[in-house]
Amino acid sequence: MGDATMRFFEDLDRRGYEPLLAKTSGTLRIDLHEGAQTRHWLLTIDHGRLNVSQEDREADTVIGTSPALFDDIATGREHGLAALLRGDMTVMGDARLVVQVERIFPGSPDALGPRRRFSGEVD
Amino acid sequence: MGQSNTIRILDGNTFVVCEDTGDIEATPSEPTGLFSIDTRFLSTWVLTVNGERLNSLSFDDLQYFESRFFLVPGVATHYIDAKLSIIRERAVGGSFREQITILNHDEKPVDLEIRMDAASDFADLFQVKDEIVNKKGEIYSEVEADRLRLGYRRGNFVRETVISSSVPARYDSKGLAYTIHLEPNEQWNTAIEVGTHAVGPAGRDLRIGLRSHGTERLALQHDLEKWIADAPKVNSEHGRVASTYRRSLIDLAALRFSPLSLGGATLPAAGLPWFMTMFGRDSILTCLQTLPFTPQLSKTTLRILAALQGSRFDDFRDEDPGRILHEMRYGETAAFEEQPHSPYYGSVDATPLFVVLLDEYERWSGDVALVKELEQESRAALRWIDTYADLVGNGYIWYERRNTDTGLENQCWKDSWDSISYSDGTLPPFPRATCEVQGYAYDAKVRGARLAREFWGDPEFADQLEREAAELKQRFNQDFWVTDGEYYALALDPTGRQCDVLSSNIGHLLWSGIVDHERAEKLAQHLVGPRLFTGWGVRTLAEGEARYNPIGYHNGTIWPFDNSFIAWGLRRYGFAEEAATIASGILDAATYFDGRLPEAFGGYPRELTKFPVEYPTACSPQAWSTGTPLLLLRTMLGLEPHEGHLAVEPRLPMGMGRIEVLDIPGRWGRVDAFARGRIDLEKLSD
Repeated sequence: MGDATMRFFEDLDRRGYEPLLAKTSGTLRIDLHEGAQTRHWLLTIDHGRLNVSQEDREADTVIGTSPALFDDIATGREHGLAALLRGDMTVMGDARLVVQVERIFPGSPDALGPRRRFSGEVD
Repeated sequence: MGQSNTIRILDGNTFVVCEDTGDIEATPSEPTGLFSIDTRFLSTWVLTVNGERLNSLSFDDLQYFESRFFLVPGVATHYIDAKLSIIRERAVGGSFREQITILNHDEKPVDLEIRMDAASDFADLFQVKDEIVNKKGEIYSEVEADRLRLGYRRGNFVRETVISSSVPARYDSKGLAYTIHLEPNEQWNTAIEVGTHAVGPAGRDLRIGLRSHGTERLALQHDLEKWIADAPKVNSEHGRVASTYRRSLIDLAALRFSPLSLGGATLPAAGLPWFMTMFGRDSILTCLQTLPFTPQLSKTTLRILAALQGSRFDDFRDEDPGRILHEMRYGETAAFEEQPHSPYYGSVDATPLFVVLLDEYERWSGDVALVKELEQESRAALRWIDTYADLVGNGYIWYERRNTDTGLENQCWKDSWDSISYSDGTLPPFPRATCEVQGYAYDAKVRGARLAREFWGDPEFADQLEREAAELKQRFNQDFWVTDGEYYALALDPTGRQCDVLSSNIGHLLWSGIVDHERAEKLAQHLVGPRLFTGWGVRTLAEGEARYNPIGYHNGTIWPFDNSFIAWGLRRYGFAEEAATIASGILDAATYFDGRLPEAFGGYPRELTKFPVEYPTACSPQAWSTGTPLLLLRTMLGLEPHEGHLAVEPRLPMGMGRIEVLDIPGRWGRVDAFARGRIDLEKLSD
């Protein structure tokens, strides 16, 4: 399993709350398949409060993908919704939860963001 | 794109565009086909009898989701002596179903070879629109005993068309065939089902929840009847207004779209068929137009746009935190990031308009719960206006795309490349600040202040927003006012120089309320004056400007939706006669299109052409053109929520006779409005 994925979930667990998910509740399991092996992450969301574990439990929504791709999504190098449309990531169960959780992934590390014309970066 | 003799039916974003025989033979210039989730699933669908093509006697568009074709063998001649009739009846509702009936009218039995040729190029909608089909993946065809599977694979991206028949058929890689024998007066029929699948690695379809209304024909029929029954009734003395309203209502039903992330609720898609997806700007403006009639659309639109609000910086998608999306797509080019629509955020008006719609929706519905539910998103939208949108640092909303490859250059509603110019016709550099967007920002702050004070319990934020709005208004009236011409400039360039052309955008400024009262009359004169007003409506760009062209997409044509907001703006500042003049012109034009207003029509003077000249575009009906008659009705009847009840202050032109709108829904329950034409427009023009 990639370090970035680990860091991403550890960070969520540490924060314990995500305002972007304040209206969201549900369980999302991420199954990372590599060869015959599958690693699991279970994200429980209760009105923005987050709990992370590595249990293989039943969930409202289950995402399946490769550890490498999820590492790239966790660092903003790949885009979750595009990966879903491509079929590189699959979803079972309530698709709404994926669309909501996708927003908490970081943007591209190379993104410049809006540039103010005369004074550089926008605050 | 051509659109000669094409028939369209649809359900959500599954639709069929075909010839008047029901056949599909896609070519780059004739973009026919069966489409779903922004992908073409059939590019060939040709029915033959004994090797002969069929000829159309007639066809019916029964409802937006079904059609029927009456055909005979042989090519068209001036005399047809057919011993056979072929009826094709088809419907879309999730999948595509076609029922074929063949009748033998001869006194002798016949032996027939019936064949349907089927193929698909699996083109992405963007490739179809741009006429480029250059597939990077592999197209395959698998013949099974009871079905034909046409497929396309690129990595894990798999799309399949599965064709099966109720009557056993012979399948081959290019279609299916039947050999039949018909006695005199005997008939034969079969039902062909065409499934469109987005296949995931586990064999699951990724579109769970994407479907819009039910999938069965009867469910679709009931859904449409309920939709009409739930909406207010409009009666008019001359019948024309009422029939235009009814046309609009049915088209709005067809335009409903249910996105993946909202579990079945619907919002208005932008246009049929090529824009059956969510667009921030188009969906919001359509909701504003239709609020008095179909308020449920606003609620779902606000929710879905909030759920997909930008949360980070993404230069490819022009995404910023707080920004409301521009367009979402599901096809191959979005999936492989050859186009940025997953979703794309490159518009600057959707974000302030999101706050405007939330406030307007509450004023009508009294739905305080939604205002509270969307507080965080509204605050993020208001923050975006002052931070990431202000690319020059002088308090205006500016745009300059960061995706310089596939992003949009002009991120306002006039989004064609040459829509923003100086009066000498040259184009300004970026970033650009168009005037109407500053008006929306002003309105968003004023309305945001009301929401903060009344519902979010934050009077300090309300005071701050009101202060900012007042400052913006003052600054705007100084920087954008063209002193010589006495109107507002279309835009500013980054040095502060005015794009000093006279344009329809000034009407949106009246709607937003950013116009100083003493200047409003001058704007009203321009809007119904000879340079902008043709007799049918207000041109996008005034006659006499360097880039003016009566059939220039954003440089001289008349856009019905644009006019509906202009009329609303005129009414807001008390120019009821001018508003009625525009409303009357546009509703007159609608009668030339059977009540279905096009996206745009030519800016020729009315007395010159006598009828409105349609601008050739591929989309009809288009959501904000469909919403136009509804907003014009609201404007003419002066419908306005006021302290918990509905105020009615009609100002109708004389020729319009009596109009009644019954059962207008809102926080008051349901009320009726009546009006009689009293304004003499002839007198006004003297």
